[in-house]
Amino acid sequence: MSAESDRSLSRRDNARFFLCLLLSVAFLLGPHHWGEVTGDVIRRSVLVPFLYLQERAEDARTSRAVRERLTSERDSAAYSAQLLPAVRLENERLRRLLSLGQRLGTHYVPAEVLHQSMPTDGRTLLLSQGSKAGIQPFDAVVSPEGLIGVIRTVSPDGSVAMTWAHPEFRASAFAASGSVFGIVAPAPQADGDDMLLQLRGVAYRDTIPVGAPVLTSGLGGVYPQGIPVGTIIGLIREEAGWQRAYLLKPAANPSIVSHVLVITTPHDSSVSSAYRGDSLP
Amino acid sequence: MTSAQTERTRLLTVMFLLAALHFYVRPRFGNSQVAPDFLLIALLVYGIRSRPGAAAVAGFLIGIIGDALTPARFGAGALANTMIGYMASWGRAVFFADNLLVNAGLFAGGLWLRNLIILLASNTGAGDFWPELMIWSPIQALSSAVTGLAVLLLFRRWLDLRIDT
Repeated sequence: MSAESDRSLSRRDNARFFLCLLLSVAFLLGPHHWGEVTGDVIRRSVLVPFLYLQERAEDARTSRAVRERLTSERDSAAYSAQLLPAVRLENERLRRLLSLGQRLGTHYVPAEVLHQSMPTDGRTLLLSQGSKAGIQPFDAVVSPEGLIGVIRTVSPDGSVAMTWAHPEFRASAFAASGSVFGIVAPAPQADGDDMLLQLRGVAYRDTIPVGAPVLTSGLGGVYPQGIPVGTIIGLIREEAGWQRAYLLKPAANPSIVSHVLVITTPHDSSVSSAYRGDSLP
Repeated sequence: MTSAQTERTRLLTVMFLLAALHFYVRPRFGNSQVAPDFLLIALLVYGIRSRPGAAAVAGFLIGIIGDALTPARFGAGALANTMIGYMASWGRAVFFADNLLVNAGLFAGGLWLRNLIILLASNTGAGDFWPELMIWSPIQALSSAVTGLAVLLLFRRWLDLRIDT
């Protein structure tokens, strides 16, 4: 009787396990919108209190909260706190973000990045602002250093950005040194180096010197013109008489960014003036 | 309240506490790549106290939550956590892990294996795959193992676990 009961329990365990596996594989191999819809429902329901907790934790960690506290403290305490390297670095980043915000001619929404523990964090980023703040799908996401990615899904209080590290990322770009256009995509690296980008589809007659900055072209109506994407570091390949592909060192790193600006409509505007000078790679 | 109900309430309390820690304390560690993964710790703690089927379902749910937060490849987290939950529960039954180091190995190995499955299932390129697997995952596994042991030691009476210290 007991052995039979054990066998029955074991069968039920296996059935549950295989059912969960089957559902996981269905999500993995099924259409993208299954995952997007399910993820959106979970973020809007079960995760609301937990994401609220995480936002509060991020607030406390980042220098936004530190700065608010510092303003209420005496000058000596503020001075000593600012000597802390991490706080100085964070302050520096926020100042640059603030300065970039003032230089941007278009509407933008500042957002915090809620980093996650999964190893794929960096390909997509969870942002603390959503449609309530005016964010819509396909809005460009930038940092003071340059392009981070594009908004993929939006809920009222949060959004998910696809970064340039995502395998499906594409952006129309041109080399700032001339009128050479191409498509930017992630460059798969076989040697374990940092993630890089590639500028492909460059006409065979055109060449770009090493060190030339590459900016978004504004073509396609997703990214405004003039956002730094990266710097040319070499030629990957050339298909004789047809096209060349160049390797790019990305301007911004999505894995370490803590705050971003989401450029809201119109998408066909130019932000070149915001990135002139010290921001350009 | 019966003894079984008390046990279930205690287990749920520990799970909710770990979930809250995951979202409120982990961001304060700074680098999310090395901070302990409290959700995985919760899954493994649940796994070693439950039947494999229940642990697999818990793993699936935790994985779906992870996928909702990092939807780079939806389903990869669910697949990985389902397998980890199921294996943790079987592992506990097979190894009879009362030893502190074996439990530490379970937390560290579980996290590393989960990351490996996620990286494989999400078609991660070699440029990201090896640094993630050989540098960041071992560090995160270590921090998760230390945190997991602290949780076990703190709550061993509540969780009705026998740990040889």
